[in-house]
Amino acid sequence: MVYTQKCVYGIAVLFYISIQLKEEGGITLKVIEADNLSKTFRIKQKEKGMAGSIKSVFRPQTKEIHAVDQVSFSVEEGEMLAFIGPNGAGKSTTIKMLTGILYPDGGRAQILGIDPVKKRKQLCYQIGTVFGQKEQLWAHLTPYDNFRFFGAIYDIPDSETERRIQEFSDIFELGAFINTPVRSLSLGQRIRCEIVASLLHKPRVLFLDEPTIGLDPVVKDHIRSLIKQMNRELHTTIFLTSHDVGDIEKLCKRIMIVNAGQIVLDESMEHLKYHYLNKKIIEMKLSNHTPLPDLPGLTVLKEKNGQVRLEVDTAVMKINDALRFIDAEQAEDITISNVPLENIIMEIYRSENRVQVP
Amino acid sequence: MLTAVKNQIRVCVFSVKYNIMREMLNKVTFLTNILFMMLNNGAFIIQWLILFRLKEEIGGYSIHQVMLLWGLSASSYGLSHILFARVFSLPEMIVNGKLDCYLVLPKNVLLSVMTSATSTSAIGDFLYGFLVICIFCFRIDRLLLFSLFTITGALIITSFSLLMGSLSFWFVRAEKFSMHMTNVMVSFATYPDGIFKGGTRFLLYLVIPVGLAIYHPVHIMTSFDVGMFFTVIGYTGLLTAAAITVFYLGLRRYSSGNLMESGRM
Repeated sequence: MVYTQKCVYGIAVLFYISIQLKEEGGITLKVIEADNLSKTFRIKQKEKGMAGSIKSVFRPQTKEIHAVDQVSFSVEEGEMLAFIGPNGAGKSTTIKMLTGILYPDGGRAQILGIDPVKKRKQLCYQIGTVFGQKEQLWAHLTPYDNFRFFGAIYDIPDSETERRIQEFSDIFELGAFINTPVRSLSLGQRIRCEIVASLLHKPRVLFLDEPTIGLDPVVKDHIRSLIKQMNRELHTTIFLTSHDVGDIEKLCKRIMIVNAGQIVLDESMEHLKYHYLNKKIIEMKLSNHTPLPDLPGLTVLKEKNGQVRLEVDTAVMKINDALRFIDAEQAEDITISNVPLENIIMEIYRSENRVQVP
Repeated sequence: MLTAVKNQIRVCVFSVKYNIMREMLNKVTFLTNILFMMLNNGAFIIQWLILFRLKEEIGGYSIHQVMLLWGLSASSYGLSHILFARVFSLPEMIVNGKLDCYLVLPKNVLLSVMTSATSTSAIGDFLYGFLVICIFCFRIDRLLLFSLFTITGALIITSFSLLMGSLSFWFVRAEKFSMHMTNVMVSFATYPDGIFKGGTRFLLYLVIPVGLAIYHPVHIMTSFDVGMFFTVIGYTGLLTAAAITVFYLGLRRYSSGNLMESGRM
């Protein structure tokens, strides 16, 4: 009896200490862990024309595509991670393995300590998913009816579902169209409803697969603000894939780039910008035509009717030296800016070998 | 466990209710679909009445047995399509990777998929079956048996279709094969089994389960046989279990898709 009491007391003390450490930032909980995760698809191959079709009936040929090739990473609680890459890089396949849609061929994944393969249903209570390209809502029902349905799916009592619908309706400003059938909503309104449907059970991890695809800049900005707010207030971990650099730049603090099924870069956004922004863009309007010097570290990108666009590699030439060489005093107007993040990402996509950030 | 089952049933009921609500969006189409399906089925009664004027028995069946056969086929097919219509388009969903939205929900994938659509005209089939029984061969005990066999018949039709549809996890163009097999089953279900001999009879009892879905129940309703009764019940359980097992084995091979369209359709 005394021994049991001591055990209970000991566990309580350890639990208290762990909570204290977590609150002080001493412990960071890993919510997503992927360990050598792999997925290979076998795609049928066929030679050209009718002869090829006939041949493929008797001697079918297949080609193995390593969609995800031994990918390992972890994501901490409350993080907002951009998981990006060119088309066919393996982003969606990775998300689908993490959410239990696809079975991995190798390696393993754990989300909040749950194996998606073994305990898919249990995992679904803890995660939310938004696929910008696929509707999860019933088009003929109103958002309200859809939310009621999702409430039933996640075993939320009716009164609690009502309370949450009201709460999210206020945050996501759904009041004006909550009783309009989903099929009559604009794309922006629909995406907001999709996000609410995926948040109704208050997931700890939210997987967003191109949530702003096809939206206008105003709506995009609104959705991004809402995602940020949700991360701040509910401490939801966000795992985002998007081709929109704006989503990545405005939402995420960490960026992971995949190419050909492998992670080629995993850095904080700050670190990425610091190491890749060693190039500056100078845009000038010159009053009279002045020949531009041909110097190492200085590249003329465009020159037309007195409008000049130059790229300066600050690792080779200081920006002050560049301005002196090009005689900036003669310029009517001058702008110095960083290389857009989009260009940096494109450069990383294009690089054939794995990128090593210095 | 009990709560989980209760919650699952609640979601299925929600799903079927919303499906019917969707079909009822256009009331005229909804009602005409039901009525015309009943009329369409009714036209076959005339054909059989003419045939029975020429001959007293066809394939060992009297007019009442043929009505039982038609009624049971229609109501079983109807119930299967009211509750589990999506099973019949399962191959297309597998091939085009449309199971994703069901796999991210914390409920039984198979039940969620199956109950995600309904067929309005199937309501006509279902009602027609019961109407035929009430008009041509009404008896309380028969009606009770008929209701039970409507459920077993619907389960056999659904399970067989699920079994055939799940082949698409392994074979790329299996959807046509699956469709033909299901259609063959429904077509044979409306003819007396006595007219089939040899290989066809073997096919109908052992390969395409129309024998145990429709023929045996008709014989039981005509003259009750305990052995036959439990054979039907046992077979329904076995086929259902086999179909569910094959579906989940196949699901491990599911390769999703990237089509830009609605998951729910």
